[in-house]
Amino acid sequence: MTNYLIRRIFQMGLVILLAAVFVYFLFNISPGGPLAGIQQQQRRITREDLARLRANYELDLYWPIRFTRWLIGFPTGPIVIGGHELFANTPVGCYLPRYDESSAGNLQPRVTGCDDYVYLSELPRLHPPIKTSKGILRFDFGLSTVILRDRPVSDLLVSRLGATVELMSISLLLSLLLGVPIGIYSAVKQYSRFDYFFTTVSFFGSAMPTFFFGLLLILLFSVFPVFLKDALPWIPRLPPGLREAVRPYEIASWLPLVQPGSFADRLIHLLMPVGVLTFFNMAPWSRFVRSSMLEVMRQDYVRTARAKGLFERVVIMKHALRNALIPFVTIVVLALPGLFAGAIITETIFAWPGMGRLYYDALSRSDWPVALAFIFITALLTVIATLIGDILYTIVDPRIKFS
Amino acid sequence: MTIAAKALGAPSRAEDTTQESQLKVVARRFFRHKLAVVSVILLFIIFSASLLAPVITTFPRDAVDVSSSERPAPPGAISSDGRLHILGVDHLGRDLFTRVLFAARVSLSIAFMVVLISETFGALLGALAGFYGGRTDMILSRINEFMLTIPQLPILLIISAILLKRDVVLPLPGFVNKLLSALLLAPEREAQKVVVLVLILVIFGWLSAFRLMRGMALTLSKQDFVEALRAVGASDARIILRHIIPNGLAPILVNASLSLGGIIVLESALSFLGLGVQDPTPTWGNMLDFARAYMFKHPWLPLVPGIPLVIVSIGFNFIGDGLRDALDPRLKR
Repeated sequence: MTNYLIRRIFQMGLVILLAAVFVYFLFNISPGGPLAGIQQQQRRITREDLARLRANYELDLYWPIRFTRWLIGFPTGPIVIGGHELFANTPVGCYLPRYDESSAGNLQPRVTGCDDYVYLSELPRLHPPIKTSKGILRFDFGLSTVILRDRPVSDLLVSRLGATVELMSISLLLSLLLGVPIGIYSAVKQYSRFDYFFTTVSFFGSAMPTFFFGLLLILLFSVFPVFLKDALPWIPRLPPGLREAVRPYEIASWLPLVQPGSFADRLIHLLMPVGVLTFFNMAPWSRFVRSSMLEVMRQDYVRTARAKGLFERVVIMKHALRNALIPFVTIVVLALPGLFAGAIITETIFAWPGMGRLYYDALSRSDWPVALAFIFITALLTVIATLIGDILYTIVDPRIKFS
Repeated sequence: MTIAAKALGAPSRAEDTTQESQLKVVARRFFRHKLAVVSVILLFIIFSASLLAPVITTFPRDAVDVSSSERPAPPGAISSDGRLHILGVDHLGRDLFTRVLFAARVSLSIAFMVVLISETFGALLGALAGFYGGRTDMILSRINEFMLTIPQLPILLIISAILLKRDVVLPLPGFVNKLLSALLLAPEREAQKVVVLVLILVIFGWLSAFRLMRGMALTLSKQDFVEALRAVGASDARIILRHIIPNGLAPILVNASLSLGGIIVLESALSFLGLGVQDPTPTWGNMLDFARAYMFKHPWLPLVPGIPLVIVSIGFNFIGDGLRDALDPRLKR
């Protein structure tokens, strides 16, 4: 077991490193580079302006240097050993590249040489440590470029974390509380009306696109009540988005005004996004619990328990359920990274100010440090969750041994 | 059986009629799944409508009715030259019925291309991994596992965001471009961008086909008939392509049908978030995105692309279900 753990943790580190490299190269080496848009939008940009912009994105440094600076925050200047500055005059980049005249207005002008090199000794001046990150492996994700300009990405992430944890934990809890009993009951009463109903529902849940389901909910609870105000004035109208209201509002004429920021306000805003997420988590979970219950209930020891004359409830809850839930544990653990990552689509539809929406904003507004940080942390959490799931599996099921 | 039949001559015919062909058995089992049959019919209607899109519709795809004052307009609106907008017009005054049909064509083409490429690719790699085992298997399986653990949607989103912003266009030969633009009924420039999206969706598309085929190849390659093939001097390529892959095709087929639904939803999700197919090319996803902005005044708008999307997604899932029942040898008659 110890051996296995050590190997797994080593593998995990490798995976995380790979993920970081993958994300970085995807972003930096893919055609065009971060400045393609700017060069295209502003044709009359001067060579000096371009150089400044390039320096801003650290594009004046060669990519191996850029990569290690991004990963572990090294090098930040000449390497000092015993008072001696080593490699101080090694060029690590090019501030003013010489472009090929013939390819001037192109998307990516061909570089033929360099007019002004960046030397290692110039790094502290050109890229001061305040502006550069200590490396993502040390959890410094640098500064946001658009959403909260020049503020640390981590501030931004922390400010959104609360909303996401609130939304995700409530919906995860609800889907557990609903999905597991539904799965058990469907299995116990296999082929009953209840079973058919929920099998169909979860089938739709797995095939229905989340975003259309979300839009349908908004149509039903926010749009139609407005259209039907004259015919059916008692129908409550839910707010279609955000986490809190700005001013008092009424959801139905027979209910008191809802004050912004009050408990009722928070609850009302949670209803629809939690509904969507619960539905889409619950569907596969209840299906999983159902099939694993059915499998366990065919086993001999369940028949033995029945033959001993135990109450059916004891047989199901004590003998069958415990074993049926073993594989389910790993699935639930895999949902945990979602507590950080949120739900990109649902949060976007309901304008929920959480992580998923932040990521979406970062992508659509090109705030790459934020996007890269999100991807990196999510990948990290997923890998950790997988490891925890595997370890939990051996704890709850002693039959499984890792070699 | 065939050799015996040849040797016995006449009586074989009588036996052949009692023994149904494999295909017939499969078809009979499939037709027992009522919902799958209904889905086949519904999908057939949507397919033919999207194939005949330029014939059925009376408006060009991007035609804007300038003189019409009401935008978006509800179903049944009359254009300024007196023609009927069956499903109304969108926020720019373009006929929604036309766009929904053209979108069907784009969405379905993307899904079929993605599934075709990724199932072929996945099945081939899976067969290689399962057949050769050892280091090939280890490397491919690790890559597969790694990709299964990393979160899919965020990665897809960031890849397409980066490629979109940089306006990446693939260097494709001219006839491929022409073929694609004929298939999608879109100008070549738009078709090229769709290809980029197809490749993005393939990145995670091959994973399940790989696992399925690897498992099949692992068991098949240990069976006697493979040994026999080796003994008669069949090459590895022949064993894999003619014997292992055809034998493992049934689960791949089921998987393909299920993932068609999944890919359509995924593509729509990307387009819905503005990181998939871009506006003038219509897909159900980007139509829903525009509908979202106007749905508070015009609540029918999201239903126009949403309903066919749901039908197709659920339809492919039912068909996959039906195929699984029909092809699963454990449920043989």
